[in-house]
Order: sequence, then C-alpha cells, then structure tokens
Amino acid sequence: MTLRPEPKTSAVAVAKKADGPQSGARRVLKRLSRKPLAIIAALWILFIAFCALNADWLAPYDPLLNNFTPEGILQGPNPAHWLGTDENGRDTLSRLLYGARVALMVGFGSVLVAMVIGVPIGLVLGYRGGWADRIGTRFVDIIDALPGMLVAFAVIAILGRGLPSVMLGIGLIFCMNFARMARAITLAERSKLYVDAARVSGIREIAILFRQVLPNLAGPLVIQGAILTGAAIIIESALSFLGIGLESSVPSWGGLLGAAVRQQLVQPFFAFPPGITILLTVLAFNILGDAISEALAGDSRKRVKRIKRRAVADPSVALTAAATHASRISGVPTEGPADPDHVLEVRGLGVSLYGPGAPVPLVRDVWLGIKKGEVVGLLGESGSGKSMLARSILGLLPPGIGVTTGSILLDGREIAGARERDLRDVRGRKLAAVFQDPMAALSPVHTVGTQLTEVLHAHFKLSRGAARARAAELLDRVGVSNAAKRLNDYPHQFSGGMAQRVAIAMALAANPDLVIADEATSALDVTTQAQVLDLLLDLRDEFGMGILLITHDLGVVAEACDRAVVMYAGEIVETADVTDLFDRPRHPYTAALLASNPNAESESKRLAVIPGRVPLAGQWPDGCHFANRCPFAVEACTAGSVPLIDDVRCIRVDELRLEKVAP
Amino acid sequence: MLKLIASRLVLVVPQLLIVGFLVFSLIYLVPGSAAAMILGDAANPEDIARIEAELGLDRPFAEQVVNWFAAAVQGDLGQSYLSNRPVTDLILERLPATLSLVGGGLLVAMLIGVSLGILAGTHSRRPVDRGVTAFTSLMQSMPEFWVGIILVLIFVIQLGWFPVVAWTPPDADPGKWLRGLVLPAIALGAGACALIARQTRTAIAEALASKYADTLTAAGVPRSKIIFKYALKNAMIPVLAASALAVGILFGTSLVMERVFAFPGLGTLLLSSVISKDFPVVQGAALVVCVIVIGVNLVVDIAYGLLNPRARPQ
Repeated sequence: MTLRPEPKTSAVAVAKKADGPQSGARRVLKRLSRKPLAIIAALWILFIAFCALNADWLAPYDPLLNNFTPEGILQGPNPAHWLGTDENGRDTLSRLLYGARVALMVGFGSVLVAMVIGVPIGLVLGYRGGWADRIGTRFVDIIDALPGMLVAFAVIAILGRGLPSVMLGIGLIFCMNFARMARAITLAERSKLYVDAARVSGIREIAILFRQVLPNLAGPLVIQGAILTGAAIIIESALSFLGIGLESSVPSWGGLLGAAVRQQLVQPFFAFPPGITILLTVLAFNILGDAISEALAGDSRKRVKRIKRRAVADPSVALTAAATHASRISGVPTEGPADPDHVLEVRGLGVSLYGPGAPVPLVRDVWLGIKKGEVVGLLGESGSGKSMLARSILGLLPPGIGVTTGSILLDGREIAGARERDLRDVRGRKLAAVFQDPMAALSPVHTVGTQLTEVLHAHFKLSRGAARARAAELLDRVGVSNAAKRLNDYPHQFSGGMAQRVAIAMALAANPDLVIADEATSALDVTTQAQVLDLLLDLRDEFGMGILLITHDLGVVAEACDRAVVMYAGEIVETADVTDLFDRPRHPYTAALLASNPNAESESKRLAVIPGRVPLAGQWPDGCHFANRCPFAVEACTAGSVPLIDDVRCIRVDELRLEKVAP
Repeated sequence: MLKLIASRLVLVVPQLLIVGFLVFSLIYLVPGSAAAMILGDAANPEDIARIEAELGLDRPFAEQVVNWFAAAVQGDLGQSYLSNRPVTDLILERLPATLSLVGGGLLVAMLIGVSLGILAGTHSRRPVDRGVTAFTSLMQSMPEFWVGIILVLIFVIQLGWFPVVAWTPPDADPGKWLRGLVLPAIALGAGACALIARQTRTAIAEALASKYADTLTAAGVPRSKIIFKYALKNAMIPVLAASALAVGILFGTSLVMERVFAFPGLGTLLLSSVISKDFPVVQGAALVVCVIVIGVNLVVDIAYGLLNPRARPQ
C-alpha cells in the first residue's frame, strides 16, 4: 500500500455505494413506477390520448355544429353544454376533446420533425469533428439564439397556415436542441475505443454511427422529446390563439383561448377549461421527462434528512454517550472541564451520515488534545475519516452528516453541534482553516484584497484604508512579494504556492488559537510544499497557535509535527510523540504505514504493501477495523469493538514487538 | 476593456451576416413564385412580372444579396405592399411598445427568478427548495399568454385596477406607461423567471458548497456576506448566460402577448404581415428582432467578461 495525494472523496459518495450497472428499459420503468407523480402524469397523458382517439363518440356534439340562436351562443356551463358554447353556438366540451387531437398530433409530430432534422446534423458534426464541427456548432448556436416564435412565423408566412407548416415551424425551432445533444453524445462515443475498432474493421461510417451511438442517444432523446412535446403544445396553442396556426374551423385549445379573449367581457369562464387543460398536459410531459431523466440517472437528487443540531449547553450531557466506550487518551480528561493547556479537546467524537436507511457512522470514538503552540499531525489514507473529523471541528459538515456523540471543546467551550451564530464568534478568532486546493479555496471572481479585507472586516472595526493596509501587511508576512499591489490581483494570477500563502493569510487574519491545515501542502509541488510548511512553522513560532496538520505524507509529519495521530477507517488507532511513533510504532497499522513509506529506508529495503483496502464507511467490521488486513490478527480481534487504551487501539499491544522504521 | 469589447464584436459580424442572409432568403423559400403567391390565384403574368421586377427577383441572385445588404445597412428595408410605406418607418413606430414589453418582462423575470433562485439555492434539498422547484415547474408549464388572459380577467375586468388599454407611449404619459406595463410584464416574465430561477438555484447551491465558501466561513465571514457577495457574484456568470437565452424567448413570447394586451408592437405588425403575405415587412421585422437579440447577447457577453476575470483577453 502506498499513499498518494488523494482527491478529496466525500464520505457521502462512498457510503451511498454505486447503484450497480444500468440495465435497460425495464429497470427504468421499475424506477418510474415508484414515483407517484410520474404515474399521475403518465395517466393524464394517456387520458388525453384516449380523448383524442375517441373524440368521435366521447364528444356530446359535433364540434363544428353551429347554433346561431340567441339561446345557443355564448352560454355558460349548463346541463346541456357542460362547458358552455362559443360565439357560434358550438359546444366547448366537444371542441376541447377534439382539440386534444391537434395538441397531441402537433406535439408529437413537431418533435419527430425536430429529431429527424436535428439528430443527423448532430451525428455528422460530432462524428466529423474538426473545422466542420466548429463551424456547424457555431451555426447551431446562432440559430438557437433567435426567438423561436419568429421561426414559426416565417415558416407560416412562406407555406401558409395548416398542420404541416405548424409542425415544420415548431420542428425547426427544436431541431437545434436535438442537434446539440446528438453531437455531444457522438463526440463522447467517438472518443471511446470501440468505435475506433469498428472503423478499423471497415464497417461503413454511417452504420457505425447508427449502431454505436443511437443506443446511447435513446435515453436523452426520450427525456428531451417528452419535455419538448409539452413546449410544442404551448407554441401550437399560441399560434392557434393568434389565428395563424391551424384553420380556424379546426377545434384547437389555442383557438378556444382566442375565442375566450374575444368574449372575455361576456363569459370570463371560457379562458379556464382550455388553459387548465394545456397547463396540466404540458406539466404532465415535463414531470414525465424529469422523472425519466431521474430514473435513468438512478435518483441522483436524493433527499437528505435534515439533522437537528444538538443543543449543547452542558459538556457533561454530551459526554455521557462518549464515556461508555471506555476509551481514553493520555492528557485528555474523560469528563469535566478541559485541560487549561489544551486549545482543543475532542472527546469520544462520533460523526454519522443520515441517509434513507440507518445512520452510517463515518467517524467514531475520536479522542484528541492539542496544546497551544503544538503541531499535531493527523495521518491516514483516503477514507480514514480525517477530513470528516476536521470538518466536524470546523462546523462545516456537509448536509446530511452530523455529530452524533462526544464533545469538541475549543478553549474549554463546547462547539460540537453549536449553532451557526455561536460558531461565528469562534471561527477566525479562535479557529481557522487552510484547505488543500488553494485555487479552489479562493473565489475566482473577487480580488485577493477583497477576500482578505473581508475577513478583517468580519472581526475588527477598521476603515477601508486601514483594512487594506493590514491586508498588505499580512500578505507581506506570508511571503507574497509586492504585497500592496498584488491585493488588486485575482486568484488565477497567483501560482499555487502563492495562492496558498494568501489562504494562510486569510486564516491568520484574526489571530486564531488553532489552525486546521487540511492537506494544505498536498496539492503543491515538493519545493513549494516545503516552503509553505516552513511558513506555517514560522508563524506558529511567532503567534503561538496550535496546528492540526492533516496529511497522508509521513515526511511532513516527521518534519513538522510534535505529535502524531493515526486514523484508520474512522477511528484513531494510535497517538504518540512523533519520535516515538517512528521509532516504536505500537499499532500494526502504524507499523505497516511506516513500512510502506517510499521515503523511508525500512530494514528489509523493500517497499511493503498492505494487502486489501480500507473498508468503506458502512462496511466496517464489528471488531478491530484493521483486523482483516492485519498480519497479527487473532480470533479475539474480531470479537467486539476495541477501545483506545493507553493511546493505542489494539488488544495485542503488549504482546507485539513491531519493526522499527527510520523516518 | 476595449480589447474585450473588440474581441466580442468580431464574433458578432459573422452572426449578423448569417442571420441577414437567412432573412433575405425567406422569399426564395416560397414554393413556386413569391410574386404569384402575393398576388393570389387571380394574378395575370404581367402583374407577376411587375411584382418580380419590383422585388428585384429578376436580377442575378448575388446582385440581389449585395443590394439587399447594402440597403439594409443604410436602414432601408423596402416598402410594405399593404400600406406602401417604408418598412423601417413601420417598425420604428412599433418598436417602443415591443421594447417596453420585453424590457419589463426581463426585469420581472430577473427580479423574481434571481430571488427565488437564491431562496432555493440557500435551502438546497430542503422543503423551501422543493417548493420553489414545484412553483417554477408550474410556471414553465403555463402558456404565458394564458397567464396574461387570466391577469386581465382578474385585475382589469373584475377588479378594475389597471386600464383596459394597456399601452400608453412613454413620452405621452410616463406614469400611465408604467402602470399599463405592469400586467404585461408580469405575464411575460412569469415563464422566463422559471429558467432564471433554476439556473440561479443550481449556481448558488454550487457556490455555497464550494471550497472558497468553506474558506470564508472558516475565517469567520458571516453567511449573509458569503451568500450575497461571494456566492451571488460567482453565480451571476451562469445566470447571465440564462438571461441572454431568456431575452430570445421573451421576444418570441412578446409577439403573442401583444395580442392579449392589445399592444401596438412588432408582434401585431408581424402577425398582420404574415397573414397578408407582406414579405418586406415580415423580413424587416424579423431582421430587427434578430439584430436586437444578437445585440443583447453581445452586451451579456461583455458583461460576462467583466464579471469573470478569467474570460478577459490577456
């Protein structure tokens, strides 16, 4: 096992597990059938389709039957005409039923036209690539920026009104959507190996396009098709409303609305039946499209349970749960007030993810104490929970994740589960953080000076000028040359190392007692890494704050830290002074970690690899989390949870004599 | 700044040429002879020849294209068959109503859309978020002109809060102009606000989940500052793109909305010209709308460059 700089994986993604491979329409249908809203939408569309198909016998009257008698025209709802009659005495309900025909015909028809025109364009652009693609895509963008209604107007001006021109007009509006989609998918598929292989084997290009790309296109086509069918129904109704859609004798929903506006003073009711029918039908298509898209993606937008922040007033309340673990760590009292020397005390901390099922523990039974001016290294692989621990101290846990047990005492004050308002007094002044990726850690659209003075303004009453002067001083202190001028620069004008210095200046602006440096040097190149680390240590000497240095790099720990804490699968397995840890590792995992360090000269002169993988959150074994990878594991190791005793979490600690590894 | 504007202007030229060419060629797409279609079934060959000469259809194609562009650049868009008046004059008369309507609609869409988006984005995945999403889905499913009809029924006919004649020229009575604009702008903006709200929601939620938001939070900057200063400015970049898209949609929808509120804008002009096959007017109005939309996109593009320091030419 070697430790690499890791991209930060969120525990949510890890614990949620992959949904397994996507398989076919049946799976999607099954997922859809679990969405009540989607079922209602589908039923409504089926109902409209039923009305359209059977309008002939459903409709109580001939939709074209005029009745120009004074009693016949412009009636409100009555037993003979449920939805009343129009200015020609024609039955509104019958016209509404027949209107479903036009709506669905135009809706489906124009989307089909759009697909027939757009998909081939997209396939060709995506497959050809190069200049044809660049010019073509630009053209698609230009056409798409034009008001769609104008295109429909133009087509009708040229071809005259009627079903074909309406379908063509709307189809032309939408075809660029399909072209863009087909292009993107073709481009993605083209770069995959199997299309290249097919090309080599000499199958004709067109055949390749259709055989390889169309199956991948099917899902997005259906989603986009459903949503655009709804949009087409709206445009058709607008055109018929204006009287340039279908012939005025043909009953359509838009035409009914046109009549409603003409008669709005006499029968305001007329506007409602066709309007609500259009609304519900379009809504149904939209809901169905979204539901299919979610079903295809496998429910990406899961609901997250909102966690009630624990009201913590009295630290002893929080402690009751923690005390049951029987764990303890030297120097950290298990209950009562915090050690006055400690900036930070963490006692029996547990952090869990609250998903649809039972809560999944991400961090458990963590004990930690940091003194003023002390640098403590927190070591662990990805998935060890070290970043979750850092985030829970900072009160920056992602939604759905919360502190379940234990206590976090900052200068003796409980901050575990504290409210946002209480944390505000703490953040910056007592506790600050520097994160891994310095470029992402600064807002790209604000100058460095704006962001730095923002922090100063949040803590001190300063004039603008004074804040800028102080910001320049801070930048200068962290080693940014030409500081006053660089305040006006944007983050992208800084190198990674310089940007990290800016982030450090922001963290130090209000002179905190503790800085959490979460992989603060990992993303930087080796030389810069050493410089930034030196800077942090210098600043510690100058300001006397404690530092929690989270890292996967043993070299960093050896060089910079006074003490080290090793985490594995959500638990602390060992904590010791750095020299002791490297000389006499007591936990088998620590020993394995040291042996796998490529920089260390282990006595066997071989890079050891720990077999197996770190178990994911939610899949932790009952006993020792490391037991299944541990060469020293015995049956008792898996019997029950292992407490942290005498700074080590191992039941065989007294029997084992682990290999000494020089850093 | 000048460099930025110049770099964007260069991109607009081919766009204008393509759109101009498309508009010009409209008349060639008419099946058979355009002149015959304009004159109707009873046309005799002499009349057709006369109209073709009038339209310049008897000259070589390339010459026609060049002539048309040259005239269009000078503001000459031809003569209306119906009224025999210059198309440019007809359009200029109608432009204030259309621009007021679209401007008002955009204002409503931005105000409501961005507010709802911030509300949903700051309450990501919580009931407020789901409520806003449901509301925007509903707004997106309503034909805007129907919203207009219902607003007229309630606020003009039933309650009488707004005048029956919605349009007053702004130079005649600015107060009346503004008052008449309220309902049309709300109806027009309702649909587009959904687009902007969704974009804002996603962008704000992303910005708040970003590392720079974490950095500022950890340094003790209040959440309201992070939302309204940092997340909002970062979110404005995608929101601006959505607004540019919305302008195109608003112009399209305004053509229909004018009918609901009896606005004397380009929409009613286009409508009557489409019905009467008055091609020079159709072409002229289409061109003007396209040029305005392209112009708005240009402005948004420049604003995008100003907002996003990385997009500025170095």
